[in-house]
Amino acid sequence: MFILKHLFCFALKILLLRKGVIYVINTVLNADEINQLLRRYGVKFGIYKNGQFKEQFFPFDPIPRVIGADDFRVIEKGLVQRADALNKFLFDIYHEKNIIRDGVVPEDFVYISSGYLPQCEGLTPPENIYSHISGIDLVEGKDGEWYILEDNLRIPSGASYPLIARELTRMASPDVFKTNGVADNRNYANLLKDTMDFVNRGGINAILTPGRYNSAYFEHSYLAELTGASLVQNDELFVEDNMLWQKTYSGGKTRVGTLYRRISDEYLDPLTFNLESLIGIPNLMEAYRSGNVAIMNALGNGVADDKGIYYFVPKMIKYYLGEDAILKNAPTYLPFYEDDRDYVLKNIDRLVIKDVAEAGGYGVIFGSDLSDEKIENLRQTIKREPRRFIAQEVIDFKDLPILENGEQVMRKADLRAFVLSGETTRVWASGLTRFSRNPDSFVVNSSQGGGFKDTWVLSR
Amino acid sequence: MSNISIEHGDRLYWLGRYAERFFTTMKSLERLHDKVIDRDSEHYKKYLECFGLPDTYGDSKNFFESFILDKNNTCSVAYSLERAYDNGIVLREEISTEALAYLQLAMDKLYGLKGNSLKGLAVTLLPLQDIMFSFWGCIMDNVHSEEIRNIIFCGKYVERLELYIRLKYRYQLILREFERLCTVLNRIPENTPYRFNEKQLSVMEEIIRDSERYSDSRNEVLSALAKLFEPSKRKDLVT
Repeated sequence: MFILKHLFCFALKILLLRKGVIYVINTVLNADEINQLLRRYGVKFGIYKNGQFKEQFFPFDPIPRVIGADDFRVIEKGLVQRADALNKFLFDIYHEKNIIRDGVVPEDFVYISSGYLPQCEGLTPPENIYSHISGIDLVEGKDGEWYILEDNLRIPSGASYPLIARELTRMASPDVFKTNGVADNRNYANLLKDTMDFVNRGGINAILTPGRYNSAYFEHSYLAELTGASLVQNDELFVEDNMLWQKTYSGGKTRVGTLYRRISDEYLDPLTFNLESLIGIPNLMEAYRSGNVAIMNALGNGVADDKGIYYFVPKMIKYYLGEDAILKNAPTYLPFYEDDRDYVLKNIDRLVIKDVAEAGGYGVIFGSDLSDEKIENLRQTIKREPRRFIAQEVIDFKDLPILENGEQVMRKADLRAFVLSGETTRVWASGLTRFSRNPDSFVVNSSQGGGFKDTWVLSR
Repeated sequence: MSNISIEHGDRLYWLGRYAERFFTTMKSLERLHDKVIDRDSEHYKKYLECFGLPDTYGDSKNFFESFILDKNNTCSVAYSLERAYDNGIVLREEISTEALAYLQLAMDKLYGLKGNSLKGLAVTLLPLQDIMFSFWGCIMDNVHSEEIRNIIFCGKYVERLELYIRLKYRYQLILREFERLCTVLNRIPENTPYRFNEKQLSVMEEIIRDSERYSDSRNEVLSALAKLFEPSKRKDLVT
C-alpha cells in the first residue's frame, strides 16, 4: 500500500478510453498543497446539524474528471438543446400553453407541480429568458453514454468550487497544465457577468444572499467578488416607483438592474408569496412585472425542473425544436400512468424511487435497500399518491478514482454542468463533479458528506 | 461614492477594529511575556487592571493561555481573530478572497498552537504577525475603493488608539497614533456614518496635544473616542 503521509507529490497516469481514443494524461498533483490552499481560501459550505450551523471544508479530490474534446462537443450540443427547450417550455407554460393543448405534456403535471406559480402567468421576463443558469446533472454510464439525471433551473449552485479549485491547482501544480491541453474554466465569472449584463434593466448587478449562514454563502460571496456585483441581503433592498433599489450607507440609493437571487421563489416577495418570509423584498414582483428589474433565474422555473416534468423533456425538445434529444434521460417511469405504475410496483425492488418534492439527495430510495415490509409500505404509498413519485432504472454509472488516505479507490460520481443563457446559450467547459465518499452509496450531495473534483475538458 | 450598504459599512469598520485588536493584543502580550520571564511573574495583573478585570487566572501560565487561545475570553487574541473573520467573511467582494484568506490562515495557525508552544511566545506569535502585515498589505493593494479602505483604517486606528491608551503606552506613541487617526478621519466624506463628531474630536485634540493634561485625563479621551461616531446619526441616515 502506498501511503501518502509526508510526501506531498505523487504521480498518476490516467488512461481515459473514449470511443477508441486513448488520451494519456500525465498528472503530477500536489494533493496536500492543494487542500491546504483550499482551506486557506475558505472553500467551505455550511450545514445544519442538530439545529446548529457548522461550516465545513468541502472535501476536494485532486484527481480530475477528464472529458475528451469529442465527448464534450456532444455534451455541449445536447445541453444547449436541452436548456433552449426548457426555456421555451417555461415561456409556453406561462403564456399560450400550446404544449398542453397539443397533448405532449399532461396538464396534471404542470398545475400540480409545486414549482408552478400562477402569479407568473402572462409575465415575460427580460429578454424572454427564464433559466439564465441551468445546472444539469449527468452521469456517465459504463457504456460511455452520458445520461441526464435532473435539471436544476431555480438556483443551481456549485460552479464556484471547480472554479477556485482550478485556480489553486494551477498554482500548486503548474506543470500539469503545460502538457495536458485542459480548457481554461476560469471564464465562468465572465459568462455570468455577460448574462447579468444582457438582461440588466438599468442599474447595478446584485447577488441576493440569505446571509452568512446559508450553505452556499461561500459561492455567493465569491461570485460577487469575481463579477463585481454587489452582494446584498434583503434589508438592503427596497422597491420604490416600481423599481428595485439598494440603500447605501450614506443615505442614498442605487438602482438594481439585475438581481441574481440565491433564495427560493416562495421567500422572494412576502406580499406575493409567503407572508411570513423575513428574507424577501416587499413588492419585488411589481418591479419585476413592470420590467424594471431582471431576476435570475426567473420566478416559476420550478415547474420545468420538477422531477415529474423531467420525463417529458425529450418530448419538449422534439416539440419546440423539431430535434431528437442528443442526451438521453435515465430510463424513467411515471406511476401516474397505469402501465408505468404496474411496472414500478412489480419491479420496485430494483428501481430507484424519487419523491418529486425533495431535493439535495433526500427522498431518493433504492428499492434494493428496503426490507419486505418497507417495500410493501412504499408500494401502498405509490398507489395512494402516484403523482408524488418517479421511478428510474439504476444506471450502472462509471466509478471514478479518488484518493483516500493516500490510496486510490473507486467511487460513484456525477457531473453538474452549467449552461448559461444570455445573448446566446453557452456551456461552461468544466463543471462540478461530486462523488460519494461512501463506497456503497450513489448519493453524492455535499449535504450528505460527498466531496468534489475539478472537471477537465480537454481542448484537443 | 461607492455603493456601500449600511451593514457593510459597519462590517468594514469592525473588521478594522478587530483585526487591529488581534494584532495589538498579540504585541502587548508579547511585551508582557518578556517582563514575566525574569522580572515580575505577577506583572500580568497590571495588564488585567488596564481593562478593569479581576485576576481569575492564578498564575501567568493560565493567563497567557486564556488571553491567547480562549475563544470565550472576549479580550483574547483568539476572540478578536474570530470576530475579525466574522466581519471579513461577509465582505469578500469588498476586501477580496486573497485578503480574507489571510484571516483564515491566521485562524489555522492560531488553532494549531499548543499550550506548551506559548513558552517561546514571541517566536510563536511571529508568524501570526507576519500574516497580519500581509493582510494589511493586501487591503492596501486589493481594495480599490478609497472610501472602503478609509472606513477599514478608521476602525483600525480607533482601536489602536484605544488600546494604546488603556495599556498606558508612552505619550509619544499616543500622539503619533492620534495624528494617524486624524489623517484617516479627514478622508471620510461628510454626511456619511463614519464622519467624525467634531465636538468629540476637539475634546480629544485638546487633551492629547497637552502631555501634562493627557496623563490625568485618559478616561476623558476614551469617553470622547467612544462617541466619535454616533450610532444614532447612522440610523438617521437609513432611507
